[in-house]
Amino acid sequence: METIISVLVDATLITLVLALAAFGLAIIYGLVGVINMGHGAMLTLGAYFTWATTTAGVPFILAVVLAALGVAIVGLLLEHIIIRHFYDKPFDTLLLTWAFFLIMTEVIKIVFGTDFRNVSNPLPGAIDFGTIKIPAYKGAIAIFSLLLIGATAFVFYKTNLGIKIRALIQNREAASLLGLNISRTYKFVFCIGSGIAGLAGGLISPMLSVDPYIGNVYLIRSFFVVIVGGVGQLLGGTLIGSFFIGGAETIFALFSKQVFAQSIVFLLAIVILRYRPAGILKKS
Amino acid sequence: MTEHSEKQWIESAAAKPRNIFSEEIVAVIIFIIIALLPIFITGYPIYILPQYMLFGVLAMSLALLWGFVGILSFGQAAFFAVGAYTMGLAMQTNFGVNSGYIGILISPLVGGALAAITGYFLFNAGVKATYFVLVTLALSIMIEQIAVSQSDITGGWNGMYIDRMSLTFGSLGEISLYNDIPVYYAILPVVIAMYAFVRWFATSRFGKILIGIRENEDRMTALGFNISAYKTGAFALSGAIACLAGALYGAHANFVAPSLGGVLFSTEVVVWVAIAGRSSLLAALLGGIIVASLSNYLSTVTPNYWQLVLGIIFILVIVFLKGGVAGAISDLSKHLQSKIK
Amino acid sequence: MSSLLRTEGLTKRFAGLIANEAIDFELDTSSIRCVIGPNGAGKTTFISMISGHLQPNEGRIYYKNQDITKLNVFKRARIGIARKFQTPTVFDELTVYDNIELAVLGTDCPYNDRNKNINEVLELVHLTNGSDKPVKFLSHGQRQWLEIGLLLAVKAELLLLDEPTAGMTVEETESTARLIKNLTQEFQLSMIIIEHDINFIRDLNAPVTVLHLGRVLMEGSFEQVSANEKVREIYLGHGNS
Repeated sequence: METIISVLVDATLITLVLALAAFGLAIIYGLVGVINMGHGAMLTLGAYFTWATTTAGVPFILAVVLAALGVAIVGLLLEHIIIRHFYDKPFDTLLLTWAFFLIMTEVIKIVFGTDFRNVSNPLPGAIDFGTIKIPAYKGAIAIFSLLLIGATAFVFYKTNLGIKIRALIQNREAASLLGLNISRTYKFVFCIGSGIAGLAGGLISPMLSVDPYIGNVYLIRSFFVVIVGGVGQLLGGTLIGSFFIGGAETIFALFSKQVFAQSIVFLLAIVILRYRPAGILKKS
Repeated sequence: MTEHSEKQWIESAAAKPRNIFSEEIVAVIIFIIIALLPIFITGYPIYILPQYMLFGVLAMSLALLWGFVGILSFGQAAFFAVGAYTMGLAMQTNFGVNSGYIGILISPLVGGALAAITGYFLFNAGVKATYFVLVTLALSIMIEQIAVSQSDITGGWNGMYIDRMSLTFGSLGEISLYNDIPVYYAILPVVIAMYAFVRWFATSRFGKILIGIRENEDRMTALGFNISAYKTGAFALSGAIACLAGALYGAHANFVAPSLGGVLFSTEVVVWVAIAGRSSLLAALLGGIIVASLSNYLSTVTPNYWQLVLGIIFILVIVFLKGGVAGAISDLSKHLQSKIK
Repeated sequence: MSSLLRTEGLTKRFAGLIANEAIDFELDTSSIRCVIGPNGAGKTTFISMISGHLQPNEGRIYYKNQDITKLNVFKRARIGIARKFQTPTVFDELTVYDNIELAVLGTDCPYNDRNKNINEVLELVHLTNGSDKPVKFLSHGQRQWLEIGLLLAVKAELLLLDEPTAGMTVEETESTARLIKNLTQEFQLSMIIIEHDINFIRDLNAPVTVLHLGRVLMEGSFEQVSANEKVREIYLGHGNS
């Protein structure tokens, strides 16, 4: 019984952390249809910005916020210089964001070097719930992730701003005929998505050692989270997709090597993608 | 001639206007040059060139898929690695027949089967082209992970050593491939044969249908073509070619590691083909050879800056020069030809 | 003359909307049928179910007395049902010649006869000159003819034409009517033609089926249909066509 609970707790933590990591992509892919292959690079960049600022003495939370802003600015530049010309061409944006990943990774290597970096854990230790021990920091991140996703979903679905944004995006032609400023909206969404990716990268950094490819691990998993959950389903989709990918990985990892577990989960995700391209909940 | 000017020579030969010199003639010239190289150069370039030629074949396999059918795959290197591992495993067997021949025979079958199964599963359901890219990327990761985790078979992170095969001709004797020259002249004909084979396919009825699918899938379906079968066929062919190239690479490099099948290499192949020109098999073949050798040379000198430059060229090509270098040359020659008329 | 196509009770529903309801339809070999009706009558939906692009909710489709209801698009094309779409669906970046060639490749035409077959079709649709030009440089009317050419090249026996004269000039429309009548006679083809152009339909002098709100309102000759009170009402009521 204890092991089951601890497995469930583990799975929940991993689900929420993965949801945080994938959320930026869910926003960008789900709302403006860009297959952001640079999502991993944005996570990585967020991690490095956090490392740089904390090393310079900035308190952790402020460092993470600065990192998010930094990545949001990078995203803004990317959108403005390149992406905004290619919104209707998913293949091109796929390749262009991939090129962004290649270039950004090299820039990171040049600026920061390839050694592993460490961001110190601001909340070390674990919280005791009798038989279950939850790492304090991971628990905090998990809660934060839930709050962030919930709050963002609230903004997008319940506030005027969010409804306007979604209406704009769902009906670009009508919106442009009405004179509404689409390009600003797309920019805004792209920046938010990038910023959140940077935020996630910063928050996750204390849990891993930071290297130029740290975000890559989350790239394909984030895509599968979004596709399995349903592209455009920001709240439920991200959580369900994360639960599937993260949870399944945790469970399989009990029976085989971690690396192999991931392959099995990818295989399952591919099968789901084939049978339920609109997300695991919807019949296509 | 130094190595550097040899490459310039190859590049300028490829740059001849393609209407005056058809692709066949350019190909013949280039292959003759490559065949004659060992007369003028010795040492490391001759040792390593067969590997670059095989990278070229790998690039060509992607061009078949991407240029002709319009299907982008981020997973070609996965087939390449599977081929190398297949050769490695074949060389460990002892069935009394030349183990290398077994590897060469089996690898395209393995690659073709893997691609056919995946392709059938996905194309038959009408999976979107963009999802297909993600799936092939995931496949790349999976192959790399399987290679790492099944270390009993594959040697895990440390990789697998592969004996070098020799050419046996039954009772007629044996040719050792241990030295640079014999193996060079063993691999070159196979590369030429693979190019010729794929080119023949691409210019045949099959190739035209693939182009039709790329141009207007719905119209092709409405004309009675089973497009999912054709896509699967194209994917299987490209997988088989990539796998065979990988097997030969394994036989030549005598070593394979999981990173050969991984994401970084897989996507590098996409960059090569995008820059060289995806619609031309010859351009992709050359592009693979040239960019791979440049990468190897420059990455010892300035690794990060070279990748950075490559990334920037990649962006420029996607934004401005969709057809890559080959496309630009072809447009230029058409422009010049119309000026002459 | 035998029955080529027959539908029984063909029904198609979309969320909350009945696009086609219980349509019984029959067409013989070597026959033309015009299908008319105001916008939203369900004409394209009907054609889509015959070509296989949409699956009916109820009803059956028989082609040459075989039940093809479950057959998918490309298989129907192989047995002779070919469709011309509302917006010309051709290979814009390829040449006219290459377009027809692709269609010919879909038949079992031997290699040596390919060129001959292609040129024959090009002549039928008046596109022999400039056949080496990319299709995107053709006029709209020529692209419509090219698409008809594709259907001929693929040796279709039942052609489904969705507004073949849309966007054409008066002369082009008259030429198209002549072309269709010649083709039907010469090759014993059958055609279902969705159209709005009254003059074109009159030129064709073929039986007409009128659809309204997803149901068959009436069928008859052009004179009978154009004189019918109800038909005039639905057209006048829904604006001019």
